[in-house]
Amino acid sequence: MARTSKKSTESTEVLSGENAISNREVEGLSQGQIVRRRFFRHRAAVISLVTIISIVIFVFSALDFRLFGVWRIHGWWKWTTEDLPELRVGDCPGGTVGCPTISLRPQFLGGAGIGLGTHPFGQDDIGHDFFALVMKGAQRSLSVMVVIGFLGGTIGTIVGSISGFYRGKIDSILMRLVDFMITVPAVLIGSVIGYHYGNLGAIFLAFYLGLFAWTGLSRLVRGEFLTLREREFVDAARVAGASNRRIIFKHILPNAVGIIIVSVTLLLSGAILLETALSYLGFGVVPPDVSLGLLISQYQDSFTTRPWLFWYPGFFIISIALSINFIGDGLRDAFDPRQRRRISKKERQESATARKLAQADE
Amino acid sequence: MFAFIMRRLGVLGVILMGSSFILYNLAAYSGDPLADLKTSTDPNRDFLMISLSRELQLDVPPPARYFLWLKGVLGLFVGHANFGMTREGATVGADLAQAIPVTLRLVLASTILAIVMGIGIGVVTALRQYSRFDYSMTFVSFLMFSLPIFWVAVLLKQYLAISFNNFLREPNVPLKGLFLLALASGIFWASVIGGTRKTFWTVFGTATLIAGGMVAIMDAMNWFLHPGLGPIIVGGLSVGIAYGVTQLSVGITNKAALRASLTVSAATLLVYYPANWVFDNHQGALGVFAIFSILITVGVFAGISFSKIDRGPIIRTAVLTAFLSSIIIVVDKFMQTWQPYMETDAINYRPVPTIGQRSDLLDTQDFWVSNLDLVMHLFLPTVALTLISFAGYIRYSRGTLLEVLNQDYIRTARAKGLTERTVIMRHAFRNTMIPLTTIMVVDFAGVIGGALITERVFGWSGMGTLFYRGILSFDLNLLMGVFFVTSTLSVLANLVADLLYSALDPRIRVGSGA
Amino acid sequence: MKLQRSAKFALAITASAALAVSLLTPAQAATRSTVILHETNAITGLNCSLSATNSTTCSAVSYLQGMGFNYYNNKKELVKNTVFGSYKIVKNTKTDFRTSWTVNPGRVWSDGTPITGEDLLLSHVLQSDAYSIAAGLGDPKSKTAKPAFNGLGYSGVYADNIVGEPTLSADKMTVTLRFKKPIANWDLYGPGPASVHALVLMAEGKKALGTVAENEAARDRFVAAFNAKDSVLLKKIGKVWSEDFTITTVDKTTNPLLLVSNGGFILDSAVAKTSVTLKKNPKYNSGPAMSGSIDTVVFKFIGDGTAAAQALANGELDVYAGQATADGVAALKKISAVNVVGVEQVAYEHWDLHYDTVVDEAPYTGLFSVKDGAKSLALRQAFLLGIPRDEIMEKLIAPINGVTTPLSSTWVSPGSALYSKVIAANGSSFLTRGTQASRNLTALNLVKKYYPNALKSPVKVRVLVPGNNPRRASEFALAKANMAKIGFDLVGDVRTDWPSLLGNSNYDAYFFAWVASSVTQRQSAEVFDTNGGNNILGYSNPAVDGIIATLDTPLSEAILGAKYIAIERLTNADAITTGVFVHPGVVAVNKDLKNVKPGPLSPQMVWNFWEWTY
Repeated sequence: MARTSKKSTESTEVLSGENAISNREVEGLSQGQIVRRRFFRHRAAVISLVTIISIVIFVFSALDFRLFGVWRIHGWWKWTTEDLPELRVGDCPGGTVGCPTISLRPQFLGGAGIGLGTHPFGQDDIGHDFFALVMKGAQRSLSVMVVIGFLGGTIGTIVGSISGFYRGKIDSILMRLVDFMITVPAVLIGSVIGYHYGNLGAIFLAFYLGLFAWTGLSRLVRGEFLTLREREFVDAARVAGASNRRIIFKHILPNAVGIIIVSVTLLLSGAILLETALSYLGFGVVPPDVSLGLLISQYQDSFTTRPWLFWYPGFFIISIALSINFIGDGLRDAFDPRQRRRISKKERQESATARKLAQADE
Repeated sequence: MFAFIMRRLGVLGVILMGSSFILYNLAAYSGDPLADLKTSTDPNRDFLMISLSRELQLDVPPPARYFLWLKGVLGLFVGHANFGMTREGATVGADLAQAIPVTLRLVLASTILAIVMGIGIGVVTALRQYSRFDYSMTFVSFLMFSLPIFWVAVLLKQYLAISFNNFLREPNVPLKGLFLLALASGIFWASVIGGTRKTFWTVFGTATLIAGGMVAIMDAMNWFLHPGLGPIIVGGLSVGIAYGVTQLSVGITNKAALRASLTVSAATLLVYYPANWVFDNHQGALGVFAIFSILITVGVFAGISFSKIDRGPIIRTAVLTAFLSSIIIVVDKFMQTWQPYMETDAINYRPVPTIGQRSDLLDTQDFWVSNLDLVMHLFLPTVALTLISFAGYIRYSRGTLLEVLNQDYIRTARAKGLTERTVIMRHAFRNTMIPLTTIMVVDFAGVIGGALITERVFGWSGMGTLFYRGILSFDLNLLMGVFFVTSTLSVLANLVADLLYSALDPRIRVGSGA
Repeated sequence: MKLQRSAKFALAITASAALAVSLLTPAQAATRSTVILHETNAITGLNCSLSATNSTTCSAVSYLQGMGFNYYNNKKELVKNTVFGSYKIVKNTKTDFRTSWTVNPGRVWSDGTPITGEDLLLSHVLQSDAYSIAAGLGDPKSKTAKPAFNGLGYSGVYADNIVGEPTLSADKMTVTLRFKKPIANWDLYGPGPASVHALVLMAEGKKALGTVAENEAARDRFVAAFNAKDSVLLKKIGKVWSEDFTITTVDKTTNPLLLVSNGGFILDSAVAKTSVTLKKNPKYNSGPAMSGSIDTVVFKFIGDGTAAAQALANGELDVYAGQATADGVAALKKISAVNVVGVEQVAYEHWDLHYDTVVDEAPYTGLFSVKDGAKSLALRQAFLLGIPRDEIMEKLIAPINGVTTPLSSTWVSPGSALYSKVIAANGSSFLTRGTQASRNLTALNLVKKYYPNALKSPVKVRVLVPGNNPRRASEFALAKANMAKIGFDLVGDVRTDWPSLLGNSNYDAYFFAWVASSVTQRQSAEVFDTNGGNNILGYSNPAVDGIIATLDTPLSEAILGAKYIAIERLTNADAITTGVFVHPGVVAVNKDLKNVKPGPLSPQMVWNFWEWTY
């Protein structure tokens, strides 16, 4: 970035050191650009973003995929969840079967050499390739997460904003709707649907869970709106003749976005856990469908005997949830209009020099 | 205001009525109570089906059956609610009355711990945003948050209960374990405190040495078999508390407050032996209460006598110190009970249980032993629940505080020349608490019905278990009983949250437009 | 006191090391006398004959508290309890079949009252529909009104065959029952003792144990009411019997009359839904003498299997019992202080093929419909051949209990002497001959006869898959994979409400397990009888019906075996069903605890409690 001591008409604004730096940073940038810049400066968030994108690509390209049920796109992994290859028996530790073939110890250290082998994550009881199962499970869990997060986030934000902004009758009606939703346990809905329509699959599960997951968020957003709508800048916007829609979306929402992002990321990572919990209780994804949650709840007994059945899906759950949370963290910081990043010593010095130069110019 | 609340309550009644109707019918159509009998080969299977249909009034269609149920529940208003009978022949009311305290016992401690720890850590991470502490805490909390509870439970039971109990059989910390523990502690404290590279290594070294030394001494003293703090450590801790509380509430420079708190610490030390005598000879909650009251009274008087101006905060500081010091004394007493507890036949040197609410075989009249038993049974579930639930509080309090810290009034406060402590504790923290309070209220209502899996993996039988049983056995009355309690509580909590919000934040007007 | 404490404290600090050594010596209690048992489901009451409280846990708890004329051992044999009494057939003609039941003199209830034949009369009230109606206690089959004794015993074999009331001998120790015809397994339909005096006292509002004289007087009042069919007293007793025992909390305030029993143990305390504690009954003499050292038994209710296994590892349980998974068993075997005992359950996994329309269902016209004659028979045979039973055993069952031979009879369970005779002759060899590969070949040829293109465009078979069960999901996956080789495409419908869908014409095949609660001559008759209550296949074969009709009279084992073989030859010829495996269970026992021999039938684990010892 060219940071020469250009003679600036705004040099008076530059006077207060720290503000100067952050102001200069956002000069002439759109809101989107500012957010993007700030986000990319959050190292953990960027790493997480890369991680999650890699996981998504890795996981979704692994298995055969049917586009609109017609075109079959071949995955890069050799097995599918339907295949029943020969079960590995005999050479596994502790007399177990189907142990993983992945090896990370090179040959010169006495290992089998670095390589994946036929079944890198091992096999289940009857021989299904566990890597394929984990991939399928991760696909399901990611989809569940996205559907719940999207539905919950959107409905929650919209309902919350409208009711917090307009107050009055609309608020009362919407909030009573929230009360109503809060009283109905999602587990019960799940078991009713599961009972009557059989196994509708993970996405459907996600769909109705999403329809019940927005209440907390909507209350938060409403609370935020109730506070923000009384603030001066909203009055200012109104005096300037801004429409309600503009006030909501351009003025209040960006101020509330921090809390929304935090809750949506918690909602997203909570969604994976909710699915896991439901599967554990038998109300969620049921076999033969798979999800990461189902896999670890099914194999929690394996913890001491065939640990790979327990750790690999667990590892994916944790990586996904961790990444989501860090991305949320980065987004929150990026969206906060008042948020400033830490200013390094170097920049402080540069700013001081700039100020001196500006003064010298006068 | 009163009219507003009454109107809201009325609407809530209607909502509850509507949702219970829907729920009742959903549940009724969600399964076939006779399904089990269909695979039975009993010779009098048909009779069993008739008998069960009669018990459950299956001949009455669910929508009509709902009103039979409602009639019983509405008895609430004339003094005798009737939630009906469970399939197991008990009244639903009795089952609920038995389950609610169990659930409360299970979730109360962990919820409070999660809130206190979560907010505490959240505040510190916000104040030191992007520090190593922030990153490590964020990482740890997210990690915990990503773990399913039954998974955490399996691990905790394996390491904190089974392995620890095995360790107690011959409580000698091996050299390797000692080394690892010390190292872990060093890394932890260094990443928590560390600033520059130099302090990082200093802290690392000190913490490693202290932890290693402490464990070695504890090991040599056989502390794990008969732990205890003793008067000296109790006194020391109390002085530490005095300094800490003073620093946080009014600032260490406030001599009056510091003196008042230190007086309380001195009183703690003085009261140590009498307290233990009382605990031994007049067992029961009354003795504990007495010690708390004595110390708190001392705190009040010390506060009054040391302060000239600004009495309130100083008294508050002293009282808080007194309260925390009393807890230390009680904790010490529990530690002393450890050995007699382990020696009982029921425990037999395996003090950390993995399951249940209390020891069935423990046959004792001793107040401390039986309460320690309760505490030990709470230990693992509380740790598990706290671990997985405090992440949310960290995130919320961190986010809110960061936002508050950027507000103009904080800048104003700083500009006025207030100390950083005052700005944070008086201005920023209190405003942070506004949205957090409402989250807490709703959470509290939620936990009553929410600890289903925890109850299951730790073998407790509270509300979650009732709900699960209700669903699995299509026990409509039971399910509706649980539903009645949880949904009523949750809508009420939301109402309370709304009211609190407007009470705490004067800018929010409640009911004005409604 | 204060001084003492501080002295002790000083000592602890200064001489901690020395002290430690002395304290370190393990303080193992001399001999343990407590057994803590694990049960998955909590008891819901103390009277197991109510629909509200009936469960295997309840049976186990009440078995410890009450002994009758016989009990099931771990080999599914009905053992006579000769300490308590004896029973025999006294008359055996086509129309008059009488059994007599005699209580040995000197047996006492836990409150000291002697047990007599009068205590056996309540059984009749609980089982006879006719008596209930005649005594004005209500019709048990009524859809609206509950009978006074709201139990599960009515409308069974006893009620169908009993004639009149039981008669009491002059010495009041023997009761004779009269049935209208000889009944099979008559020893299961005898009376059991009930502490009627306690019931009478409770019905009269008493809250404390009575003296022996009072108790005997109370019992006389019951006998008088029984003989006179006095509905007033009987209804009061019925109310107590039906309602007062549905408690799950027992403590010092509990009416001790509720706990009067004649078993080896008496209920001491119970925490609702958590645990039940029983203490040795000092007056116990109604069963084999206590030879072990156990004086306290605790049942702990833990729903989650993993949690219970960890509790066992942590020494909080002495006996673990549960549904087994391969990993669960392996994990249990890793616990050093524990013996793992495999146990068979009484659930028999099997595959059934739809045969014809089931009553009240839409017409079945699917693949296996008998209306298609030879074609459907061939397809059914091919399908049964294609079930990879050996592979299912090897991959799903053997890791748990080591059993690799699939179940080849749906009438006799493996392990009995009869079983090997039956399977040698019942036609099941059709399914066991050769290897799976050779069976696949046979099956493929059968299919190809009617569907030459079966391998390219496989024949769809609709299968009802029980939901929420990983083992069955695996079983189905294995079957599907192998069926593909013989030209069948299995289309599974995974349903959690599968029991209500059994017999539905939308499915061609089912697989699940029948659960038996007792061993009777009729065994699986209800499944194969044209009018059987469990006939979910629409199966009807007059020859089979004919043999089943003869199973109601007592038969010797040889004749019974021959009849089973005859039935199975017919059903196997029709190729409608095959067994796969007996559900495996697992029990893990503290190594120090001896003589625990779990059995499959209720009371399962506790049947020989008197032998348990440390």
